[in-house]
Amino acid sequence: MILGRVVGQVWATRRDARLGRAKLLVVRPTGIYEPAFDEIASGEIASGEIASGETAFGARHLVATDDLDAGIGDQVVVCLGAPARASAGGNDVPVDAAVMAVVDRAEIDLHALGAAGAGPGIRRKLTEAFG
Amino acid sequence: MWMGRVVGRLWAARQAASLAGRKLLLVRPETASGAEGHRLIVAVDGLDAGPGDRVIVAHGSRVRDLTVGAEVADQDVVIGIVDGHELYPS
Repeated sequence: MILGRVVGQVWATRRDARLGRAKLLVVRPTGIYEPAFDEIASGEIASGEIASGETAFGARHLVATDDLDAGIGDQVVVCLGAPARASAGGNDVPVDAAVMAVVDRAEIDLHALGAAGAGPGIRRKLTEAFG
Repeated sequence: MWMGRVVGRLWAARQAASLAGRKLLLVRPETASGAEGHRLIVAVDGLDAGPGDRVIVAHGSRVRDLTVGAEVADQDVVIGIVDGHELYPS
């Protein structure tokens, strides 16, 4: 699962029927989880990448289904992959990201993270994310 | 899932049998601030989206199985066409 912040909402009338009435939120992943976000970026390579020369994934956002009534500005925990489908209503829902929790409070110890062997890049991103 | 804008269609005379007859779209992912990224992704279209449409694309084999069929050789599928969206700068 990844940590992120809700930055918007999407409405789509023409949608896959199996999606139902799921509420769709736009979530910006928190900096520390960018490495995990790259897993998504690998999908575009598999499906045929045409433009090249970019190091960062162009879409630093996720669209996630939301059952918990999260709002704009809320910090949320988002699950990716098959477990997200289970949360979004079953294995027959064609989604790959779902809001699993609305965060009341998150604490991260930058020093402890550094000591655990996190790379300088991750530590830098953490500092950017949490100040 | 992620949001992107359909920037074109793709045709290929020679293609894998598992792709035959499938409408392929070129989708440009957008950033969280709404700006367009620089990459292009080839997604299978199950909803009749067209160039200029903003779409929601989901990734994965299960998503593919559920929407366009297990035989299709692509894991990125258009699952929604965006009517409108609101983004708040954070």
